Amino acid sequence: MSAVPGLKEDCEELLGAFQQADTVRFERFAELWRERRFHTVFYGRIRALERNKLTKTTLELAQQYFLPPYSFQIRVGALYLLYGLYNAQLCQPKQKIRIALKDWPEIQKFQQDLLDSQHYDAAYVFRRLRLARAFHFTAMPKLLTYRTKKKIEENYFKEEFKDPSNRVNSLITNDVLEELMNIHGHYQKMKCVISADKSQPDKALSLIKDDFVVNLKDITLEHQEWQQNRRKLFRNAKETDETENKKKEGTLLESEGSERANALARIKYKSYSAVVEASKSRRHRQVQLESSETGSSCGKSPSKKTSRRPQPERRRGEMQVAKETVTRHIGMPIITEENSDE
Amino acid sequence: STDMLMSSEKEEDSDVIPEDSSLLTLRIRKKDLERREETIIVDRACRQETLTYEMESHATGKRPDNLTDLIEDGELLLTLNIFYPVIFQKHKDHKPYQTVLVLGSQKLTELRDSISCVSDLQIGGEFSSQPDQAPEHISKDLYKSAFFYFEGIFYNDKRYPECRDLSRTIIEWSESHDRGYENLQSVKMEDYVFNDLSLKIGFPYLYCHQGNCEHIVIITDIRLIHHDDCLDRNLYPLLIKKHWLCTRKCFVCKMYTARWVTNRDSLAPVDPCFFCDVCYRMLHYDAEGNKLGEFLAYPYVDPGIFN
Repeated sequence: MSAVPGLKEDCEELLGAFQQADTVRFERFAELWRERRFHTVFYGRIRALERNKLTKTTLELAQQYFLPPYSFQIRVGALYLLYGLYNAQLCQPKQKIRIALKDWPEIQKFQQDLLDSQHYDAAYVFRRLRLARAFHFTAMPKLLTYRTKKKIEENYFKEEFKDPSNRVNSLITNDVLEELMNIHGHYQKMKCVISADKSQPDKALSLIKDDFVVNLKDITLEHQEWQQNRRKLFRNAKETDETENKKKEGTLLESEGSERANALARIKYKSYSAVVEASKSRRHRQVQLESSETGSSCGKSPSKKTSRRPQPERRRGEMQVAKETVTRHIGMPIITEENSDE
Repeated sequence: STDMLMSSEKEEDSDVIPEDSSLLTLRIRKKDLERREETIIVDRACRQETLTYEMESHATGKRPDNLTDLIEDGELLLTLNIFYPVIFQKHKDHKPYQTVLVLGSQKLTELRDSISCVSDLQIGGEFSSQPDQAPEHISKDLYKSAFFYFEGIFYNDKRYPECRDLSRTIIEWSESHDRGYENLQSVKMEDYVFNDLSLKIGFPYLYCHQGNCEHIVIITDIRLIHHDDCLDRNLYPLLIKKHWLCTRKCFVCKMYTARWVTNRDSLAPVDPCFFCDVCYRMLHYDAEGNKLGEFLAYPYVDPGIFN
């Protein structure tokens, strides 16, 4: 499909503004939409045939932002954008949004995420689109056309919209950590069984660092947090010179991040007992635990206007645990050197 | 949650682009429109555009009179591009095609019947001596065989006793030496519906009829049937796009489409020369119907006849 000139820029500008606003509320999106009077994008004397083609191309362009690898906020923005464009189009009967078979499970998962995180307005918008029969369920995402292209356009993803590629997190997932904890537990028990003192493993058998699982998780969290800060800084430095404090106040983690953080908080809670035991034999090593967010700890009311994930509950849970130091990392995190022994 | 905050509050003319738009799309479009206003004298849809639009949308939303013909939910809709066999120089870059919508539960034979190709209408034979006896049977009736080729299987039309297995030659050829095509099979076209086939989207397949008239068939889209589509089963396979071919006109009157073509004609200025029926008879035969001059004449069917 031939591209509509200027449309990609306009959409990206709107989605960028939405991302800046750091929220997923529909009212905010609607304000941005009305500011730009986006519904006029279909205006101009266009005859019926071309209008059909134009609308189809527009919806196809907007639909691309609705799928991974874009970040959660951009995807919600794309959902709102699709809703707006679908309703603002001038074609009769309305042109539909194409959804490929392979994308449908992801979209269902997305909808489930929306419901779980209580973003009912986004879920409602999605439901409205379905009720209005706005979707064509197709085998392939793009309708094929057969014209020899003068040049092949590269489809590039706007870097800032993309989720930060979290290789570390995808390697060290919840499951991996739980497995490690289990195996570690078994190992300790095994050592206890074969050593003379049944409650504690023999000193001679201490060949590994006992709390390496906890450390691993901490390092992972640290990395994630560093990455987000870096992204935020990058964005700030590029655009306006707002004070950084304002930006840092609400860290908007992606939904996967928050789920993972929840689960990791659980593991952390469980593993604190292990830490306490080990510290007796490892007094010379500092165990440094960091919290998983940088934001100031002022209480935030989870109002509907500014959407935050259910962070306050989690934070309170973590506050209860003793031995917690809150550190801020702006530059590269410094990994504390540990004396290797045994 | 909130609803349609999108639409404008006051009455707006959707033809007018607002002056102070912040959208890049609109600024570009405005420039384009201004340019069009300056250069084009009369700015309205030409015949071709009207035809294309009509064909695309004429069947949307149609419902059948008879409820048994209503298409069920969950039916698949395939979009096929069937390419014309004519090869003109001007079609080098974009070969013309027609687009057909077909239901998943329809048989292959229904598609075959709906493909209109000019070679089906050809009448073989030289008829300069007996112009009135140009036979009624066209090639479509004489040579009824046809096949589709999808994914290594030839679907032959075997509904009539005259139909032959055209694919047999190909299968024998591929089996004679190890040519790298495994397992070509031949089955009957009328036993299969589209839902039974395994297909690739965008991959060229073949439809062959008349022994040597070959059309490339490409499937561009498969999707579920939708509320706004035409739900009358009798209208499928539905033609939604057709390439407009200019017809050749009679050399004499330049008005009517050519129906005869002559070779080695002493009365004609060029070879081959095209005539409409009236001009042909007036030029080549006298009042009694005797042949004048030496020539060979064949009935001609123009590819643009389906316009």
